[in-house]
Amino acid sequence: MATVDEPTRRDIEAFVYLEARLADESRYDEWEALVTEDMHYWVPFGPGDYEPGTRVSYINDNRARLGTRIRQLATGVHHAQDPPSSMRRVVSNIEILSAEDDEFEVGSNFVLYEHAVQATGHLRLWAGRATHRLRRTPDGLRMAAKKVELVNSTSPLPNLPFII
Amino acid sequence: MALTVQSSPASNDYRHLVQDDRIHGSLYTDPAVFADEMQRIFTDGWVFVGHESEVPEVGDWVSRRLGTEPLLMVRNRDGAISVVANRCAHRGTTLCPQNDGNNRNFRCAYHGWTYDLDGTLLGVPGPKGFHKDTADLGLDRPGQVDDYRGFVFANRSGTAGPLSDHLGAGGTDLIDRTSDMSPTGRVRLSAGWIGQRIDSNWKMWPESDNDGYHLNFTHASMARAVPDTYYDEIVMTGEDASASITRAYDGGHVELDFRRSYSTELAWLGTKREQVADYCDALERAYGADRAKTIMWDGPPHALVFPNLFLAEMNIARIEPVAPGVTVHHHTPLLVEGTDESVNRRLVLQSEAAMGPASFFLTDDAVIAERMHRAFEGAAAGDDGWVDLSRGIEREHVEDGQRWSDITDETTNRGFWHHYRDVMASVVGNSPNGHA
Repeated sequence: MATVDEPTRRDIEAFVYLEARLADESRYDEWEALVTEDMHYWVPFGPGDYEPGTRVSYINDNRARLGTRIRQLATGVHHAQDPPSSMRRVVSNIEILSAEDDEFEVGSNFVLYEHAVQATGHLRLWAGRATHRLRRTPDGLRMAAKKVELVNSTSPLPNLPFII
Repeated sequence: MALTVQSSPASNDYRHLVQDDRIHGSLYTDPAVFADEMQRIFTDGWVFVGHESEVPEVGDWVSRRLGTEPLLMVRNRDGAISVVANRCAHRGTTLCPQNDGNNRNFRCAYHGWTYDLDGTLLGVPGPKGFHKDTADLGLDRPGQVDDYRGFVFANRSGTAGPLSDHLGAGGTDLIDRTSDMSPTGRVRLSAGWIGQRIDSNWKMWPESDNDGYHLNFTHASMARAVPDTYYDEIVMTGEDASASITRAYDGGHVELDFRRSYSTELAWLGTKREQVADYCDALERAYGADRAKTIMWDGPPHALVFPNLFLAEMNIARIEPVAPGVTVHHHTPLLVEGTDESVNRRLVLQSEAAMGPASFFLTDDAVIAERMHRAFEGAAAGDDGWVDLSRGIEREHVEDGQRWSDITDETTNRGFWHHYRDVMASVVGNSPNGHA
């Protein structure tokens, strides 16, 4: 656990909440503006304690593939998000796990309710732990990595075409 | 779950429900049809279980379902593969609730009955009070288990005849072409399975996975987001421009055959030779230059081995029925041996893009299937609710036990359903589940 000054802590928490809200509201242009050029977005199978690419993950996006993901969402014909799911997530238990130079590793828990309106109309529940790597830049904090470890990732999952 | 009306005798008349050019939507939603399928297809027939490379060491096991029957595929002490019920022979407790593991033996958590890796009952705690012969009380086992090039199949009833008859020339060729992608001739399924849970009937997956007509519409978002995938030249060019074909073999095995369409070698891998030089060299050493060249140009097949094995190019997928309206589509990257790991890294990345609940392709297929399932949820046998599968029926070619046609034609769908009809029709008047 790392200790940071209070203004830094407030900035970090505000960033995590903003990132969650933009994802909830499918505001992908604004969400994408939060990431760095070396962004890694990872949803592992099971605990994220393996090297991505050595076994199959749900999502293992480098910056280029994340760009493709967001472009696909923006086409208007991505049926899996047409219309976009209505979503709200609650983010809590924010802890600053490490702070080195201008980078912070931040852990948090989340619960996400998704109304999967595209076909079934089911209310889907997603829960897990997010680990953000945030970097201080001249434009403010930016996200260099997001790892999302779902509590039920070792069981079959329904569609996950949005940013979690 | 919304159920249809109780099935009437007519609802199980599979020769009526599956016609040459159309099928009835109640086949997706009727619980009585699902029960018949679990018997006739998943009990009486051969079903894909897994690949021997998944359990390399003695005691390795993976958990599977044969239809809805829970099984373990296990590496035995003698090196052979066993397939046993994941259910204690005493009171029926699931022995191994995890996806996979390694055991010296299987001990039930309820009363401690213990089984050897091949399912033989080794011991019962408190033997003085138990007088049956333990030799008669092993784990349930399918009547037949066999493999072809490491692909393990099981037939619970034991009455399906030899696996080679089930695969036929078509299924054999498809598994050969898949296995030959590896320089050793042996593929490796060691990168883990991911399951996608879809609220649709299982049969929409053999259909959708092997449908050459839907790409431009279902996957329009991918074409716009990535305008240069290899799918552009092989299936998305439309009815007149694509040289790809759709093919149905005897036995319900079907293929989208892209081989005629590739304009470069390794197009199916989305790369060039210098990026995967070690792999290409290994293919040439193993097969000779001519055969290696064919493999590098043709790539792996895109095909269904009836009823549940999807040879998804450089992925293997298992279609697992859960309930009439619930299916799990499991996939794992098809890894190769006899070369450096860089090509396998590439294959894992390619798999993550194409397959699974967060992929660029299967997510759209899933929603389409879920919409289709919803549209038939109230379907009862009658005049409404038919599915038209006539596309291309007048222009398909028949030769050597195969039918083939334009890539956009529904030859694959008809091939699946006509075999399904042959298998299911024998249920009428003789249903083991008492529905007929």
